[in-house]
Amino acid sequence: MLPKVLVVAVGNPDRADDGVGALAATGLAGRLPPDVSLVARRGDILSLIEEWAGFDAVIFIDAAASMGMPGRIHRIDAGAGELPNEVSFASSHAFGLAEAIALAAALRSLPDTVIVYAIEGASFDGGAAMTPEVTAAAAEVADRVVAEVGRLRCREGKVMSDA
Amino acid sequence: MADKTTKTIRVDYLARVEGEGALDLEISDGRVVSAELRIFEPPRFFEAFLRGRGYAELPDIVARICGICPIAYQMSAVHAIENAFGVKVDGQLRALRRLIYCGEWIESHALHVVMLHAPDFLGFPDGIRMARDHGEAVRNTLTLKKAGNELMRVVGGREIHPVNVKAGGFHRVPTRSELAPVAESLARARDLAIGMVRWVATFPFPDFEQDYEFVALRHPDEYPLNEGRLVSSRDIDIDIADFETEFEERHVAHSTALHSLVKRRGAYLVGPLARYALNFDRLPASVRELAREVGLDSVCRNPFKSIIVRGLELVFACDEALRLIAAYEPPDLAAVPIEPRAGTGFGCTEAPRGICWHRYDFQADGSIERARIVPPTSQNQPTIEADLAAVATTVLDQPDDVIRHRCEQTIRNYDPCISCATHFLKLTVRRT
Repeated sequence: MLPKVLVVAVGNPDRADDGVGALAATGLAGRLPPDVSLVARRGDILSLIEEWAGFDAVIFIDAAASMGMPGRIHRIDAGAGELPNEVSFASSHAFGLAEAIALAAALRSLPDTVIVYAIEGASFDGGAAMTPEVTAAAAEVADRVVAEVGRLRCREGKVMSDA
Repeated sequence: MADKTTKTIRVDYLARVEGEGALDLEISDGRVVSAELRIFEPPRFFEAFLRGRGYAELPDIVARICGICPIAYQMSAVHAIENAFGVKVDGQLRALRRLIYCGEWIESHALHVVMLHAPDFLGFPDGIRMARDHGEAVRNTLTLKKAGNELMRVVGGREIHPVNVKAGGFHRVPTRSELAPVAESLARARDLAIGMVRWVATFPFPDFEQDYEFVALRHPDEYPLNEGRLVSSRDIDIDIADFETEFEERHVAHSTALHSLVKRRGAYLVGPLARYALNFDRLPASVRELAREVGLDSVCRNPFKSIIVRGLELVFACDEALRLIAAYEPPDLAAVPIEPRAGTGFGCTEAPRGICWHRYDFQADGSIERARIVPPTSQNQPTIEADLAAVATTVLDQPDDVIRHRCEQTIRNYDPCISCATHFLKLTVRRT
């Protein structure tokens, strides 16, 4: 039996590089197996927690603050604890993906596999255009997510059939 | 004679509030001599850049003042526009406004009660760490918040910063079939909210009361959201247009947000405790019974118990939304036609944190000549500082970290939105 996989593109397409998740989702259209779910979210990230509860694996695509190289792609295995440890619910205005994953983990409703593709952005200004490096990264992330889904289905499918 | 001792306790950045602020507490010879809520978030100048904008832009611009209570700003703004232009919105359009306001209360109160405030009472640093031991309460909160989100999305167009509100009504009104699934979610949310009230009522509460002057809207028939006279627990009973005759804003050096005061007396309190005390008789009988069941009188002067009152308002908001949806018939027009004219308009509605008062002077073409917005958090600031001084006095013999925690909890009693007020917490305690 194949694992249930969810791909979530996070971010606001109207805020320059924050739209990289939505752009990558456009690039994924028609390239994922029909039983893999693909959703884009720009609103309340807390509502995600209930959505991913029934899945074996979830892959997030989101923009990240710049660390000096716009368009650089980071693959984070959140299920293996690669997200920051000291995440707290400091403010409902500052609630982001890391906090949502930490909250889901505390609630023991995190899927076994959680991969985050974080793309460094340079501009998050309202109405501004996406920077060219980030636009290019969206296409590469889409390719990597297609490959990631393939690996997950192959690996998890084998584990599940062995069990 | 003992040496004079000075102690300073400082909280440099307050967590679980919206925006940036700090607290300085000075203790001298075992007495609190000053308690200052320092708001250092930069001013945002919304009132200045509204000048020259057209009235039709107003609801969408002021919505950006806050991501948690955009409806409060939109509603106060559209009421002010209609007040200035001589337009009355009633019937189902008025009901839809109440309905979307319920959505905002549900979102805001659910989040604050469990994720931001409850950890203070249960000894957790935040809602995430609390979730490990109180998973059911947190899951229920997510379900409640989701119901509020659904309501906002269906009536307002989207969950955060809704785009469907306009002067005269809405850009588009929902169909009955669009609201039917929302009602199902709200019915479940109502049951969860009742459970939440019973849960928070079991928390340990400090034995602490203050003699507040409560200020809230009061309507002849309804628990207030969009309309009413402005009343207080002392002698204020005025039309909202007369706000400036009774209240004033003052600049204080330690805050980028203005402090509001009753001119004749000083500090006052807005928000759930005030609404509840002044409108207990306007709550549905079932909510009043629930209040009695958990041991709350019709007036509550213990600010720490605001968490229970917020929970009761959450039940009310679910109840009221269900009632409005059951009675909903889509109106023929999504909005009443508006003809601008020169004049001044006033709006005052009940944000989750308290009254949000607006005044606009319009030119004949409907452009804004002057704007004045008085958000709830700036109105509560002097009262928060008075609470801090009084609360700190009760724990002066305790270690600094105990004082710090109790002070932070005191501020969170108010669910302050500092981003709105300046448009939090750094605690400094000085002991001498």
